[in-house]
Amino acid sequence: MNDPGKCLLKRVIRRIPANMLKTTLSHWGRVSDAQLQSVDFTTSKWALTEKLLNICEENELTVKHVTELEMIHVIDYPNLGMWYAFQLFDPDDAAPSVDMTQFKEQFKFHLSKLMRNVSVKIKKHTDEAIWIRVAWGDGFSRPNHMKPTYVVHHLQSSYVFVTRLTSKLKPLLSQALVLSTRYQGIKDANLSGRNLAALRNLLMRQYQQVFSTKFSTPLAEKSENISNPQIEREQAESATKRHQMACEAFGDGVLPQLQSAVYKLETKFRDHNNKTMTDREEPFKCIVKFTSTNLLESLRHCASSGIASTPVTPLLSSVPVKGRNYFVITDNVPGSSSQTNRPQK
Amino acid sequence: MERASTKGVLGHLSLLETQMRSCRGKHQQLNRTEQLKAKVEALCVQKEQLKVELHTLQRLQKVRSTLDGNGADDEMDDDSENADILQLMAKCARLKDLLHAHHLIGGYDVVKTRQDKGLCITLTTAYEGIYLDTYHLEMDLSPKLRISRHDIPPFIPLNSLVETTTQTALRPFLDFLSQHLNAFTGRKQQLKLVKEQHKSVEVMESNVLCSVLVLLVRVPERKLPVLCILDYTDHSRSLPTGVKFECDDEPPNFEQWKKSCRILLERPVHKALITMKSLGCIV
Repeated sequence: MNDPGKCLLKRVIRRIPANMLKTTLSHWGRVSDAQLQSVDFTTSKWALTEKLLNICEENELTVKHVTELEMIHVIDYPNLGMWYAFQLFDPDDAAPSVDMTQFKEQFKFHLSKLMRNVSVKIKKHTDEAIWIRVAWGDGFSRPNHMKPTYVVHHLQSSYVFVTRLTSKLKPLLSQALVLSTRYQGIKDANLSGRNLAALRNLLMRQYQQVFSTKFSTPLAEKSENISNPQIEREQAESATKRHQMACEAFGDGVLPQLQSAVYKLETKFRDHNNKTMTDREEPFKCIVKFTSTNLLESLRHCASSGIASTPVTPLLSSVPVKGRNYFVITDNVPGSSSQTNRPQK
Repeated sequence: MERASTKGVLGHLSLLETQMRSCRGKHQQLNRTEQLKAKVEALCVQKEQLKVELHTLQRLQKVRSTLDGNGADDEMDDDSENADILQLMAKCARLKDLLHAHHLIGGYDVVKTRQDKGLCITLTTAYEGIYLDTYHLEMDLSPKLRISRHDIPPFIPLNSLVETTTQTALRPFLDFLSQHLNAFTGRKQQLKLVKEQHKSVEVMESNVLCSVLVLLVRVPERKLPVLCILDYTDHSRSLPTGVKFECDDEPPNFEQWKKSCRILLERPVHKALITMKSLGCIV
């Protein structure tokens, strides 16, 4: 095995948690059972790596085989970096019938046309997701396997999730994706986060949304300590209403785990007491960023506990409704193409 | 002797217990039948009422036409009869309103929300008599009808469905959407049933929309693997539009495969596979 292969193997072994190493390796299938038995998994990672390097040499494995191991690990632990969502638009007539084999061939074909030195590996996961690993080189150098881009796509779903992609390579990947999925274009979906499953659930609407229906069951209320029954009774009704509204805006149960929401404001400053700022022609630019370990649950709590006003402002409810967490807010000036919501007071 | 008697008592007790249980079961069953009977009766009564209503309406129409024909002079003749007619006319107007409402929303569950500014429509899906997923649409009524929020998965082409139906025709849109959703959940359920019921059939490929299904089946002779590719191009149906077989060798019995193709096109895939098994096409 050459040096890049060794480097990659070392790094992959370092990243895989010690208790998962054996299962991941057996899943990989490049190391025989007898060889696996001979490895002592209780020793240090360093010693383990040396041992595995020897085995790989023995089996004459190449860097390609090691990339398979890395893929298995990334599929098991996808939440290691930032994932960005993209949306395909305007499907061709042929788009609904693209299958895995076609997609695989087309994607490899188009990407290799765009870039000479590129290594692509495509794997279908059990949940029908297609995982793509792209190692980029350029006209003169061989693919760099240490900085691969990962792409996840569900055929016929119009959403693509990408991690570790540089802006230079984005057009190439976009073009290959558009051509191989038979869409007309691809755009930034303005949604990003560390948890891939959360982004996917939010966009595919696979979380518990709440609607007011004829057969609505009362939402499960949290049991809080009752300090004063009278006050409780007074407030119970409005609290239930707030809770219902918060759940309608953000959903019920466990919500997709987003880490942040960013609002880029490019609106005119409005304050009657501050003439200097209000009279300025150019918009007042600022960025508002909310961060949390689980942003949607935090927002829901804010609304249901009365910290944020209900009905929930469209600015906040747009996160789950539109499935995005990056907004540019401009004044609604006729003629200019404003991007999103009107600002609210 | 003593031992035998205690055993006898316990045995008797357990016997009694089982008897009681079975009795209770029967009782519940009886209860259920009684309930159903009551429901049947209630429905019969309702049917009769509707019949009467229809009859009155017909009579009213007759009376009105004669009234119109007779002109205005004998309007004041009989107060009590007129009052009757007016009441009936009011009833008729109410029924017309209801009918109009039905034309608009046609049996869908619609709830007014946000102080009558919005609607929430519930679309239920079912396959073979089993209720599956429920989907919701929340709509704004003013300034114009538009969907504000929904939980329909993004691979259902909601936007193109909205475009194809006009603003005024809410019901055709709902019918179309409901058909799409029912077909989708139907296909999903079929796939689930195939996985559950047919362990010998391997699902090689499918997608989120369940519009492509590739199955690996084996023919009885030499356990030859054959790929069966089902293509559901029409997304508003839960049956495939195309079936293809792929095999490395020549399929041994051409006629039989043609028949299998027909079965797969006509029946839900999990049932078609049962038929194919019973015909001996596959293992």
